Amino acid sequence: MTATGQALSYLDQQMPGETGEKARSRLVAILMRREVQLLVALLLMSGIVDVLRPQFLSSSNISFMLAGSVVIMVVATGQTMVIITRGIDLSVAPMLGIAAIAIGFPAQNHNLNIFVALVLVILIGIALGVGNGLLVTVAGIPPIIATLATLSVYGGLQFVFTSGLTVISLPHDYIAVGLEDIVPGIPWLLLIGVGIVIVAELFLKFTPWGRAIYAVGNNADAAYRAGIPVRRTLFMTYIICGLLSGIGGFVYLCYIGSASSTTGTDTNVNLISIAATLIGGTSLLGGRGRPIGAALGAVFLSVADTAIVVLRILPIWEPAGVGVLILLAVVTDRQSGPATRRALRTRHHAEVAA
Amino acid sequence: MSANPGGTVSAGTPVDLSANRRGRASIDQVWVWVLVVLLGLELLYFSLTSTGFWGGGSGMLSASSEFLDVSVMALGLALVIFAGEIDLSIGAMASLSGIVMAQLWHVEGLNIWLATLITLVMAAGLGALNGFIITKFGIGSLLVTLATQFIFSSVATAVSGESPPYGFPKAFLTITGTGSIGPIPADLIIFAVLALFIGLLVSRTRYGRSLVLVGHNRPAARYSGVNVSRTLIWAFIGSAVFAAIAGIMIAGVYNAVRDDVGIPLLLPSVTIVVLGGVDIFGGKGRISGVIIASIIIGYVSVGLLDGGSTPLTVTMVQGIVLIVGLIIKISLDRRGGVAFRDALARFFARQHLGKATVSSDV
Amino acid sequence: MSATATEGVASPTKLQGVSYVGTSLTKSFDGAVVLNDATVTFEPGEIHSIVGENGAGKSTLVKILSGIYQPDSGTLVLGGERLIGLHPHNAQQRGIYLVPQEPSLMESLSVTENLFVGILRRRRFPFLVDWRPMRREASGYLERVGLDIDPEMRADELSVAQQQLVECARALVHRCQVLFFDEPTSPLTAHEADTLFDVMRNLRDSGFTLGFISHRLDEVLAISDRLTVLRDGKIVMRETRDQFARPAVVSAMVGREIVTRVRERGEQDLTANKEMLAVTNLTLEPYFRDISFVLREGEILGLGGLVGSGRTEIAETIYGLRSAERGRVEVEGVALAHRTPRDCVDAGLIYLPEDRGRHGIFAEVEVTRNVTAGVIHRLPRRGPLLRPAAERRMAEEATKTTAVRMPTIDALMKTLSGGNQQRSMLARWLLAEPKVAIFDEPTRGVDIGAKDDIWTLVIKLAHEGLACLLISSELTELTMICDRVLAIYEGSVVGELTGDDITDARLGAMVVGPVAR
Repeated sequence: MTATGQALSYLDQQMPGETGEKARSRLVAILMRREVQLLVALLLMSGIVDVLRPQFLSSSNISFMLAGSVVIMVVATGQTMVIITRGIDLSVAPMLGIAAIAIGFPAQNHNLNIFVALVLVILIGIALGVGNGLLVTVAGIPPIIATLATLSVYGGLQFVFTSGLTVISLPHDYIAVGLEDIVPGIPWLLLIGVGIVIVAELFLKFTPWGRAIYAVGNNADAAYRAGIPVRRTLFMTYIICGLLSGIGGFVYLCYIGSASSTTGTDTNVNLISIAATLIGGTSLLGGRGRPIGAALGAVFLSVADTAIVVLRILPIWEPAGVGVLILLAVVTDRQSGPATRRALRTRHHAEVAA
Repeated sequence: MSANPGGTVSAGTPVDLSANRRGRASIDQVWVWVLVVLLGLELLYFSLTSTGFWGGGSGMLSASSEFLDVSVMALGLALVIFAGEIDLSIGAMASLSGIVMAQLWHVEGLNIWLATLITLVMAAGLGALNGFIITKFGIGSLLVTLATQFIFSSVATAVSGESPPYGFPKAFLTITGTGSIGPIPADLIIFAVLALFIGLLVSRTRYGRSLVLVGHNRPAARYSGVNVSRTLIWAFIGSAVFAAIAGIMIAGVYNAVRDDVGIPLLLPSVTIVVLGGVDIFGGKGRISGVIIASIIIGYVSVGLLDGGSTPLTVTMVQGIVLIVGLIIKISLDRRGGVAFRDALARFFARQHLGKATVSSDV
Repeated sequence: MSATATEGVASPTKLQGVSYVGTSLTKSFDGAVVLNDATVTFEPGEIHSIVGENGAGKSTLVKILSGIYQPDSGTLVLGGERLIGLHPHNAQQRGIYLVPQEPSLMESLSVTENLFVGILRRRRFPFLVDWRPMRREASGYLERVGLDIDPEMRADELSVAQQQLVECARALVHRCQVLFFDEPTSPLTAHEADTLFDVMRNLRDSGFTLGFISHRLDEVLAISDRLTVLRDGKIVMRETRDQFARPAVVSAMVGREIVTRVRERGEQDLTANKEMLAVTNLTLEPYFRDISFVLREGEILGLGGLVGSGRTEIAETIYGLRSAERGRVEVEGVALAHRTPRDCVDAGLIYLPEDRGRHGIFAEVEVTRNVTAGVIHRLPRRGPLLRPAAERRMAEEATKTTAVRMPTIDALMKTLSGGNQQRSMLARWLLAEPKVAIFDEPTRGVDIGAKDDIWTLVIKLAHEGLACLLISSELTELTMICDRVLAIYEGSVVGELTGDDITDARLGAMVVGPVAR
């Protein structure tokens, strides 16, 4: 693992002039990375399904699957950051929903400008994220409980704001964003998704605030002593998650074309965003994870979803499938990090019955 | 290499000598009294603002059938949370149990009590499965039960079919749903019995003692000879069986089963246990707190629904009650001198698998 | 103290040096005064050690000096400037670094990033993190502390000793000139400790100001230029190197004369006694292999060795916490296959673990329940229900036997001192009525007074027939109370000493490696 670990770290930087040996272990390291494995699994799955059902990989279907993944892609990016800090955000579903209806009704009834809508969802997402941030950093409530609580509260608010009504028709430009392709197979929505993932990656890798997120997730106490503003960092993480959930609401609205008082919750955005994050290689123990992993996880789940339909597997088994995927993701995740293994070994041997 | 330091405090964790002599035990007790006061205030509020609420006292009692299913579920969940774990699959388990029982009765023609018994056994088995995966593979309960929630949910939908059975035998309905002895509803009796059972289990049995120690410090429990795996598995069996009982109670009250009745019950259950003072990290808390919290949350639901609010509003208010309650509780804890940073350190340290904060050196 | 972003590695040539003075520092917790008007001075180019028993206040002192606690009164002056509002958050920026007992790095991040956490180098524009200069400089800093590793390695791939050195390097990166070491050698092997001491001496010679907190008097006497003894929160002795005398220091720490107790050996021939524990060819790679020994009734058998030699793993395997690859364990002639700790306790074999905090005590639980934790299945009951009053009496008796000092038996375990927590652990296991007891570093982190009590207790128990296996890294401890000692080196038995043959010198020679031919 040490060699691999070394090689893994090498990957993050561009080291000039490697010898052949280093290049080879670099290749092994590349193959060992979760993102690559996921990509391979994704391609394999698509390939297999395409063999069973030709036309699965038609450009319109590819576009469909990619577009369908963007909502989760965006939300899971925010979820990734929160989970890196050893937290979790169970309120992303209603945050998405509130954002969607907040612009949906004005769009439907008053032809709200699409760019204004985008700005609005960002602001709303931030505001909702602030709620989570306050509960976790100021009130000191553990994230799982805090976001469980805001899940209820925001869910209720979502209902109150809609008064039971549903958005059913949208102006043309929203629909265009949601359904059209740049080139056959690549939807416009994907641009938004990929754009966000790239910005997130750069943020986490190259800004002090992004590195602070990793630091806090690894060892909050040491981060504090190093002068990192732990509270502020955590707060920011929840705001970012809210913000991205808001954008997720925008994407959802454009893609689905409607919104209601149960938007977000009815499509299990909570669970699926966590699933995508975990499948993408982020650990619930915190300290590591990447938005690109979550993005691949989102695509993976979208393709799997479509595959289930195409293969005529009963849709009622889909949640079970997601459940199994999560378990698989976590079990295979155990192969990373000697510390995790050490920690798990200790725990394991402390727990195993004779 | 096993080279662990002796019990000295690491640099970042202050000595908690400021805890008073009776320390945590009395904070737990104080919290129960706080809850009693909250309950009193709540009942006062509802009796003043909602005319039909009391219905002469017996109305209040009979209204309790509407929320006792969640209360029963929370009792089982408390076991798991005492152990420092969580069970997100209880909602799905409740729905699944209702449906399985109904199908066994309707399709297989079994006596309904036999069907109930078999269902409870099934629930125990599934709970054991949860516990087994968690202990054998060392995967966190959050993930496992998140996943099994979905698996159970799917199974429930599959088994329920197009139109699930309804119209259960009268005896069954009376005992589990609508019957009563005098003014006391049958469900309340069931709840009281179960609450007494769980209360005694946790505080006065060897199992309960082991469970709480496991929640406090899992490795230390192991070193003391406690069979941690078995203790955990039984806790998950408990939460599953109680969820199943809740599902059956729902079938009795509404005389019907559905594959989605259980999911919305998860949130209130967690709310009840946490509000009741059981520490989410395990060990600390009292069942008496859970009982009172379940009544508080229950009447929030009843009172609001009677006043014309929708279920979503109820959930929202329950969320607010949870937040307010936790803020009060955490400020009480903080009086012991633990600053936010240290709470954070404990939170993260806790997840370092068994690292107990110790004060020894001064 | 300002940090210049463009400056390179602190060069090995002598620094200006700053002195750090704490004057009249006082601190109370909950009405109890733990530090009383203490004044200490740390000068550059010196290693100044603070020693004292548990409860003496040395840990509080160093925490005040590094900003973790705020003193109730007194001042801190660094380099002539008064420090106001010193907090863990800003201590490093002000030039004070506390190397914690257990290294506290960011496990998933690279060593480079660990070094520069909080002061990541940035491009001037657009304020993005610039990894290249950091990578370049990191190697320099690591060399300075004698670490020859790739700075891009993840921190969790390093050993504890290496991580500790990274902590030292971090202090340098943050331009800290005042370094405090809090019991740094606890998790280290002797060799690793020596490396650390070399680094410390190096830093001292370069003009850094070093503070060293340690229980281990031998280390302190070996490495310090100056030492200060705390007792009951007050400074009771200040000595410089030329004046060091061990007995004087010890009595200053304890406030009384310590009579070193020597066990009267050979007064009974133990070879005829019943075999209580028989271990045969016990193996668990890579920790240990082919461990065989017999432990008799009333015998105290020592397992000596360096930290990391595998003794704790042996004990954990005997006790059922780990599964052996092969080998047999028999208690009173009965083989215990596929053991769990519970099986062992039921058979009369108990284990007192070395890491009290993690594996022993339940900090947030009252003493009563801590003490009865080992015998839950034997607690007094009426039917299925426990009887709390009877349980309490059980616990009270047990804590009386081991002389636990506590506010009340309902007090939370965390409010007890280290020595009393250990006494409570002993009480717990005595309740189990053991026939064989494994003590793993029983006096670690325990003040001298309690050490003495524990030794007395162990000897008494052995007299009454308890078969004791004593694991210790302290040669003195083994020499003083064991009938026989096995020396363990890197997982194998490399020697055995009996009776009067057990001396510090012989044992010390054995544990560092197989006897050369």
